[in-house]
Amino acid sequence: MRKARFLMLLLLASLGSWSAAGAQDVVLVANKGVKISEITNADLRAIFMGTKTRFADGSHAVPVTLKGGPAHEVFLKHYVGENPEEFRSQWRKVVFTGQGAMPRAFDSESALIEYVADTPGALGYASRISSHDNVKLLAAVK
Amino acid sequence: MIVKGPGYDFDQLSDDSKPEDLTHRPNAVFHRQEPPLDKGQGRGSCSVSRGMHLLLFFLVCTCRGSLHAQDLSGIVVHAYVSQGFLYSSNNNYLSMKSSDGSPQWTDAAFNISDSLADNLRVGIQLHMYQLGQFGGSNVQVDWASGDYKVNDHFGIRAGKVKTVWGLFNDSQDIDAVFLWILLPQGSYSIDHKSFYLAHIGGDIYGGFSLGKRAGTLHYIAYGGQSTIDLNDGYIQTFADLGLQFTNSLGGKTYGADLQWETPVRGLILGSSGNWLAADGTAPAGTFHSPAYLVSSMYGKFSRGKVYLAGEYDRIPINATITLGSTVIPFVQDGRSWFAMGSYQLSKKFQLGSYYSHYIDKAADTTQPVNYSKDWVVSGRYDFNAYFYAKIEGHFLHGTALGYYSDTNPNGLAPNSKMLATKIGFSF
Repeated sequence: MRKARFLMLLLLASLGSWSAAGAQDVVLVANKGVKISEITNADLRAIFMGTKTRFADGSHAVPVTLKGGPAHEVFLKHYVGENPEEFRSQWRKVVFTGQGAMPRAFDSESALIEYVADTPGALGYASRISSHDNVKLLAAVK
Repeated sequence: MIVKGPGYDFDQLSDDSKPEDLTHRPNAVFHRQEPPLDKGQGRGSCSVSRGMHLLLFFLVCTCRGSLHAQDLSGIVVHAYVSQGFLYSSNNNYLSMKSSDGSPQWTDAAFNISDSLADNLRVGIQLHMYQLGQFGGSNVQVDWASGDYKVNDHFGIRAGKVKTVWGLFNDSQDIDAVFLWILLPQGSYSIDHKSFYLAHIGGDIYGGFSLGKRAGTLHYIAYGGQSTIDLNDGYIQTFADLGLQFTNSLGGKTYGADLQWETPVRGLILGSSGNWLAADGTAPAGTFHSPAYLVSSMYGKFSRGKVYLAGEYDRIPINATITLGSTVIPFVQDGRSWFAMGSYQLSKKFQLGSYYSHYIDKAADTTQPVNYSKDWVVSGRYDFNAYFYAKIEGHFLHGTALGYYSDTNPNGLAPNSKMLATKIGFSF
């Protein structure tokens, strides 16, 4: 009984720690040609998990990610609801079963932003302190 | 998904149609014999048919309006390699001499794909594996398909495509995506996977939002042809019964999977149905299985560091083997379920456990040969994004799954333990 209670507390603690704050540390960046100015969390998750390929206005979405780092972890945690390991694993499954192609991943925020600026429909994220002059910022709504 | 030998009375057979060496437990222990190859028939390979080429060609042609000259920059290449090691007490597992420790378990795959347009993608994956006496150095086409996505509600995929069924069927041979070294064998039998893993034909797929508070529904429906490769455990089963197939056998398959992404973040519930038929002719006789429904209900919850999943499957088979004038029933009612959970202890280390339960309801379920219960503890360490190592302990009760007589000539103990390790690389 005591063991079961301990396991339940461990489970609750892990769920709680996962939903801690931090979303304000990243911003959503999109190509300037993207017409929408806000995106729902559900659409964000669907686009980054590959189950959706279009924005709400019907235009094609091209998700891009960072290879790692704090902005990557915060984004996945708060907008996609996955940890980086599970996110990678999910995409490996998609790739090796022939059901899709992994989003393009970048080593640095500057490279990601440059790609987003040049690619129609591109959608990514970066830390708030990065320069976002050539891209459009999207607001995430619930 | 398991097919074992039939639970029939061998006295029914005429003397000349009896297998040469009938084991004391024909339901689960099979002799390994190498079937001869037909010319042009790659052993175990499932060659890409002309029909599939035509289908891919058709897809490319229908989309030519939006195609551009390819600069090759869109081509993506991925691969994985894994090497396993098994050590077991009492019995030898999966046709390896695992009681001495066996490294006879290698998997490798390579795929290349390209997005020809926003909504059109083509690709191919080549796969080789060695699992004890199964598999070999031959390279098989794991999948090769064209995928045209009209919109998020409707897409079509054609060629040789992985069959979506249950939680893991389509990904069961991709070691890199799992914590587990062996998936629950009652549902995803590694030595009988070829019949279920893929089909040559087509899928339609898509998803619909049910509204903010009701989640999303994802569907896949498919139809085509499934084949039992000549290097599969089934072929060994039939060989032991006197049917030495020299050509792959198979039949039509169709099915669907419906998955509900619930409004509870991370919770997915689903159900699959797969109708399969198989027919084959060997020099000594025939195998005939009318279409049977393999059904599955499953659920998984994944949030943060926690992963929980469970599945229930049923595989009722009512087939016949004809040897000369003797018709032998090949009947089985396989029922299996598993429950699993894991926790990401750190960025690099994941720990988990599952229990897998299998019984053949058509036979005496008190006999170890008709059940398999497996308690499993697993750990995975990711050195970086590409390299990983796994270790797994199995506590096996019952001998219904994964044992062969030529690697267990002195019979089987009802219980055994097994240690499995794997290292892998994936990019």
